[in-house]
Amino acid sequence: MSQSRSQSSTRRLLPQRPSRPTTERGSGAGIALSLLLHAALIGATYFTWSRMLDTTPESHAVPVDLITVTDQTNVQAMAPPPPPTPPKEETPQQPVEPPPPQLMDVEPAPEPPMPDIKIKPEPKKVVDTPKPPDQPPPKKQANQDFAALLNKLTAPPKTPPNAKVGPRTVQGIGAANAMTADLADALKSQIYQCWSPPVGAPNANDLVVDFDVAMNPDGSIARATSDAVSSGNSYTRAAAEAARRAIFQCQPYRLPQDRYSQWREINPLRFDPRQMMNQ
Amino acid sequence: MRKLLLVCALFLAAALAPLPAAAALSVDVTQGNAQPLPIAIPDMISADPAQATMGANIASVVRADLTRSGLFRSIDPKAFVERITNINVAPTFQSWRAINAQGLVAGQVTLQPDGRLRVDFRLWDVYGESQMLGQQFFTQPENWRRVAHLVSDAIYERVTGEKGYFDTRIVFVSESGPATKRVKRLAVMDEDGANPIFLTRGDYMVLTPRFNPTAQMIAYMSYIATKPHIYLFDLETGRQEELGNFPNMTFSPRFSPDGNRVALVLENGGNSDVYVMDLRSRAVMRLTTDPAIDSAPSFSPDGRQITFESDRGGSKQIYVMNADGSNQRRISFGAGENGTPVWSPRGDLIAFTKQLGSHFTIGVMRPDGSGERMLTNAYHDEGPTWAPNGRVLMFTREASNNRGSQIWSIDVTGRNEQRVMTPGDASDPAWSPLIQ
Repeated sequence: MSQSRSQSSTRRLLPQRPSRPTTERGSGAGIALSLLLHAALIGATYFTWSRMLDTTPESHAVPVDLITVTDQTNVQAMAPPPPPTPPKEETPQQPVEPPPPQLMDVEPAPEPPMPDIKIKPEPKKVVDTPKPPDQPPPKKQANQDFAALLNKLTAPPKTPPNAKVGPRTVQGIGAANAMTADLADALKSQIYQCWSPPVGAPNANDLVVDFDVAMNPDGSIARATSDAVSSGNSYTRAAAEAARRAIFQCQPYRLPQDRYSQWREINPLRFDPRQMMNQ
Repeated sequence: MRKLLLVCALFLAAALAPLPAAAALSVDVTQGNAQPLPIAIPDMISADPAQATMGANIASVVRADLTRSGLFRSIDPKAFVERITNINVAPTFQSWRAINAQGLVAGQVTLQPDGRLRVDFRLWDVYGESQMLGQQFFTQPENWRRVAHLVSDAIYERVTGEKGYFDTRIVFVSESGPATKRVKRLAVMDEDGANPIFLTRGDYMVLTPRFNPTAQMIAYMSYIATKPHIYLFDLETGRQEELGNFPNMTFSPRFSPDGNRVALVLENGGNSDVYVMDLRSRAVMRLTTDPAIDSAPSFSPDGRQITFESDRGGSKQIYVMNADGSNQRRISFGAGENGTPVWSPRGDLIAFTKQLGSHFTIGVMRPDGSGERMLTNAYHDEGPTWAPNGRVLMFTREASNNRGSQIWSIDVTGRNEQRVMTPGDASDPAWSPLIQ
C-alpha cells in the first residue's frame, strides 16, 4: 500500500523534471543545486498553498461532528434516522437531550364541558379587527435598533470588559496585540449583524458563550466549536446555538488576506449580550 | 535519489514553517442585532389526501403562534424552494439557506387506525445542518389546535431555552353595551384568541378573574349578592361557589402557587387588609393590620412571599412581605403611584401599574425594588398578568375617550407590543399556567 503510494508520488514529481537534464548539462553542480533549490521552493510554496486550499473541504466535515451528536440523540425520538449523517462516533456527552421516545399523549383534552353557558364566539368580530389600531411599538423598536446601531458604531473600541483583557495579553505576542485589535473590530462589525442575542433570560450570565473558531483563508469558517452548545442549561445552549448561527450565517468574513496568520484561529470568539440586556 | 530526498525534506520544511507563527485572535462580540429567527414551516405532509387540510391547518397555527411571540419570523411558504415529501429524510439545507431560513419544521399528520391523529415533526437547524428536535403527538382529531400549540411550545422551548406559553388560556372580563349600562361577563379563550367561551351570563358584574395553578378553577369577584364577594368557578363542572362567608366585601383574589391557598382582601369599615385563606380548612389568616388600604396581593413563585399595594406611606406603593405577614417593606420608590403588583412565575421580576397624573403604564422591577423599567407608553394601561414562562405580559388598555378597553400584550424586553384579539371589548386578563 505504502509502496504504491510512494510510487505514485514519485510519478507525480516526474513531470517537473524536464528542467533537470538541462541543468545537469549546464555549467556545474553549484548551478544545478541552486536551480534545484529554486524549483523546490516554488514547488513548496505551491504545495503549501494547495494544502491550505485543501483544508476547505476537509474542515467542512468538522461541523458534521456537531450534527452527529444532536442528531443521534434526537433520532432515537423518531423512527428512521436521517441518512446523511454517516459518522456516529461520539455517543456520550449529551446527558440532557430529550429522552429517547418523546411520545406525548395528548389526551382527548380536558376541554371543560361548560354547562348552561352561552357559547357565543362572535368570530366575525374577531375577524373584523385583525389589525391592532395604532402601533406605537414599531417606532420604538426602530429606535432601539437604531440605538443599537449607534452603540455599535461607537462602542467597539471600548467594548472589551475585564474578562477580555486576560486572554489577549497572554496570547498576544508582543506588538501583536495592538496589531490585531483592528482585526477583532473588523470581525465584530461583520458578525454583529447576524447575531440575534437571546435577550430576556432571567440570568444574563448564562448567556455569555465562547467559541473556538478556525478560519479558512477565504474567510469562511473551517470549524466553530463551543462546549456551551451541549450545555445542560437550556438558556446557555440556546445562546450558543444563536451564536453559532451567527458565525455561519455571516461567513465569509472580509479580512486582510496578507494577515491570515493572525486570524486563522479565533479563540475565544466571545458572545456577550449583557450590555445589550440592560439598555 | 539523494536529491529527491532533499526535495522531499524541503517540501516538508516549507509545509510546516507557517504553523508556529499563528496565534489565536480573541474577539468579544457585545453588540448584536436582535431579530426574529427566520423559520420555515411548510404545511405538514400526509400520505392520506384527506388529512392534507389538517396538516395545513396545524402548520398555519404554528406559524401564527411563533410569529406572535416576536421571536420568530415565519417565512412565506410561497418562497419555499424545496418541497418536503418525507420528514424522515434530512432536507437539502442549501435550498433552505437560499431563502434565509435558519430553522425548518418538517411535519406529518397521520390518521391512526384507532381514529386518533398522529403528528410527527422535526425541527432542523439549517445552518448547523442538524436536527434540533423530533417529537410526535397523538390526539383526537378535534384537538388539532392544541397539538399545534404543543408543537409551537416545543419549538419555542428548544430555540429560546425557555418554556413556551402557547398551550394556555386567558380568562378575562368581556364587556359590551353602553357605558352607563355595561354588561361584564366572565370569558375564557385560548392564548391565540381561538375558542372564546362565556362563563357567566352578564346578569351581574364580574371583576378580577384569576386562574388557579391547574387552570381548572377561576377565582373572581362578583356582585351577585348585595356586596361584592369572591367566587370560585370550576371549569370542569361549571359549578360556582362563594369563597368563605364574610359579612363584608372581599375582593382581589389570587391563588398561591401550590393552589392550596387564596390571598384576598377583606374590607372592614373602610379599612381593607390582606388575608390568606386555606382552601381545604377554609381557615383565614390576617396578614396586614394597619389602617391604610392594603390590596392586590400576589404570591412569589415559591409561595414564601407576597407582594401587595398599600397607601400606608401616603401614596399607593408596592410592598413585599413574608407569606405569614411578617417583614413588610416598601419596594417601590419611583415617581408617581404604583400598584397592582404581580410576581413573575420566573421569580425575577414584579410587574406593576404606574400612575403618573392621569397616565397609567405597565412596568417591571426586581423584587427588591431595583431596576424599574417601564414597558408601555399609552394613555391608560393597567392590570398586568404574566405568561407562565415569565417572558410576556398581557394587560388592559383603555382608549382615551372612553371608547372601551382591549387586551394587549408586550414582551418583558419592551418589544413586540400587540393587541390580543377578543370578541368585543375586554379587560382584566389573567393568563393560565401551561395546560396539564
